[in-house]
Amino acid sequence: MGSELWPQVEALLGRVERPVRYIDTEWGVRRKPRAEHRSVLLYPDTYEVGQANQGLAILYDRLNSTEGLAAERAYVPWVDMASEMRAAAVPLFSLESCEPVAGFDMVGITLPYELTYTNVLEALDLAGIPLHASERGERDPLVVGGGPCAYNPEPMAAFFDAILIGEGEDAVVDIVCAHRDAKRSGASRAEVLERLSGLPGVYVPLLYRAAARGGVEPIGTAPPVVTKRAVTDLGARRPPLCPIVPYMDVVHDRLTVEVTRGCTRGCRFCQAGMVYRPVRERTADDIVRDVMEGLRCTGYEEVSLTSLSTTDHSQLEEVLRRLTNRLEESGVTISLPSLRVDAFSVSMARLASGGRKSGLTFAPEAGTQRLRDVINKNVSEEDLIETVSRAFAAGWRRVKLYFMIGLPTETDDDIAGIGALVARVQRTARDAVPASDRGSVRIGVSVSTFVPKAHTPFQWDGQVPMDEILRRQELLRSATPRKGVDLSWHDADVSFLEGVIARGDRDLSRVIEHAWRAGARFDAWGEQFDLGIWHDAFASAGVDPVAIATRSYAHDEQLPWAQISSGVSERYLWSERQRALAGVVTEDCSFDACTGCDACGTLGVDIMLGGGSRGGR
Amino acid sequence: MAVGEFRLRVRYAKAGRARFLSHLEVMRALERSARRAGLPYAVTKGFNPRMKVAFGPALPVGTGGSREYFDAWLLRPVPSAEALKRLEVSTPPDLPVEDARYVHMREPSLTAAATVARYEVAVGGEGVTPELIEKALATVVGEGRLELEHKGKTKVFDLARSLPEEARVRSCGPPWIVEVTTRMGQEGSLRPDMLLNEALSRIASDGAVVSVTRTDILIEEEGVWLRPL
Repeated sequence: MGSELWPQVEALLGRVERPVRYIDTEWGVRRKPRAEHRSVLLYPDTYEVGQANQGLAILYDRLNSTEGLAAERAYVPWVDMASEMRAAAVPLFSLESCEPVAGFDMVGITLPYELTYTNVLEALDLAGIPLHASERGERDPLVVGGGPCAYNPEPMAAFFDAILIGEGEDAVVDIVCAHRDAKRSGASRAEVLERLSGLPGVYVPLLYRAAARGGVEPIGTAPPVVTKRAVTDLGARRPPLCPIVPYMDVVHDRLTVEVTRGCTRGCRFCQAGMVYRPVRERTADDIVRDVMEGLRCTGYEEVSLTSLSTTDHSQLEEVLRRLTNRLEESGVTISLPSLRVDAFSVSMARLASGGRKSGLTFAPEAGTQRLRDVINKNVSEEDLIETVSRAFAAGWRRVKLYFMIGLPTETDDDIAGIGALVARVQRTARDAVPASDRGSVRIGVSVSTFVPKAHTPFQWDGQVPMDEILRRQELLRSATPRKGVDLSWHDADVSFLEGVIARGDRDLSRVIEHAWRAGARFDAWGEQFDLGIWHDAFASAGVDPVAIATRSYAHDEQLPWAQISSGVSERYLWSERQRALAGVVTEDCSFDACTGCDACGTLGVDIMLGGGSRGGR
Repeated sequence: MAVGEFRLRVRYAKAGRARFLSHLEVMRALERSARRAGLPYAVTKGFNPRMKVAFGPALPVGTGGSREYFDAWLLRPVPSAEALKRLEVSTPPDLPVEDARYVHMREPSLTAAATVARYEVAVGGEGVTPELIEKALATVVGEGRLELEHKGKTKVFDLARSLPEEARVRSCGPPWIVEVTTRMGQEGSLRPDMLLNEALSRIASDGAVVSVTRTDILIEEEGVWLRPL
């Protein structure tokens, strides 16, 4: 391995913002400097954005708990630190041993969001690792990707030796052990890739080429379709209970205990709801045990019970009663992300909050019942009004509502409907509180632009053009009450770029590289984003971004991500799309009968409910 | 067993890489240590209940501290040796807890009581000697008052008040260790690194402050300086 870089790193820290990002030594760090196989797990953003990432925490724990294997962490240095490092010839380093990332056996990079892609190139370049998989030699580390954006791997395919599709807790050990064994036997880089492509869930981009009919096809023995990995039983492995406790005030600075994986509410715009199927709950006993142990080990003052839809857990009420009993007088709080729009959720939030009522968040997503039926968001206006009324009567004074614009079939009536719904929510809230409290009622409205994603029923549909989005935003502004309502937007140009990359193909890798070379990085940070750089990059690469974003595919056309399967069949996605256009809703199979998405059948994984069944709430 | 609250004063160091932490980060890290230690900490009343703790005067990012303190209020008196042992094993190595003892409930807060701080400032640079540093400091001190710009604000220090003891340069270097004692308080706290950088800028040299460590904070009682523990 290379030498320890700390003295050189330390010399730079007096000159950069937030040196705490680079100092390691937090509580819970694991050190295995002499392991036979050593990986670096890299989150392609700053420390404070990536530190709490639950997926990487699971992989860190799994690898470091396996004999002979080690994992360290790396993040992308902020622009000031990157300049200092380049000037001082300090390469990208791992936190734990402070050694050059290029000296490790493997670099694992999660792909959380399209707008972090230039950061992947920034990290590889700072590390001194060739950007292209095809240019890497025997001494370079194996660069493996994974995470949510792996479901359309093509825009980043050129930069990865292998990409894991799906859940990593078991797969990561399979991949690392295969790599270690191949190294032991003296296998060449090409042989390593060949072997990895034989592992379930592993996509090796170099073994595929562009196909004449669109998409890609395998060159040799690589599988024509790579199906995602999924674990059968979440209870079989305990989540990381002694995760790293950061010094810095990071995003999601709390203990996280995953209570459920997967959500089958079936919202048709939602990629997570399609690709994390089926629903697998952890049992109440396991959750309570792990929360208590995790709090003891970390000293955290807050625990979050996470999942895509926590209030759907069949034993949530029991879990919250047991935890609030145990945590009484401790000052430790419980938080629930993603509340459903129903009375049960409000009473659960009340139970969890222990009296403090900071604010509730609901996501009606669309402004009219017609459009909510199109996207299968099974929430009625009456549900929302009733829920808001209860919440404000119970003491809450702030509510935040999430909406999307640019959804398929959206008309100006749907936009006006958002404004009308917000106005009604505001009236309801004000009516539900004592007259003296009306002034403190705040309604937050957050509006994002719909981005069609791969492996969803809307994957075939083009994105609404940006100038039309801007018109609809203006329309919504004029339709929404101003007083007491805080209206905020996601930038339309950011959503546009996200849309291009989300449904792009292999050509996009040239664009991403051009953009990075022209200085694009930290694109997800508003002040760093420059669409002008990207327009130049598209022009230089000869790629028309508008054509990609707005393109609608016919049913028989090959999609750029067709070699990847989430387990949900294309047949099901297409039928969901047809039902969407007809305004027909689809039930949730974790409450009701199987809807035939085929995830369980393809993956060999069944629905698991902690309480045996989910009540008909 | 007595019922009520008990005030445990804990001494720790901000050492090694932890000197790059902000005061807020140090506080949060040590509160979490106290929770991991399983101490029966009291929780504040009110809308946002928090662990009842109070820290000594803040240190800036980059400055270490070898004898720093915080007070934690406990619901039950854990023997101080046991509390210390539990804290020792629950704290990151670069924020080591080194002593813990009970103090009187009515003692003034650490920030109010501690008015004197001692520092060791390491100065490096080509051609810098102890004599040069002493001469530079004497020049600044001789002027009687010092104007410093910090974060866009100008602060004026009366050096006779701010420097209750003469600075001393240790004869072993480089880097040369300068021992500086300053007064803290409402009128402003003189940062020793800023004092030295100002002094070094008066002499033709490329000397600069390499590191700063606060070695003591002291409580002044009837002209006598005492450690908080």
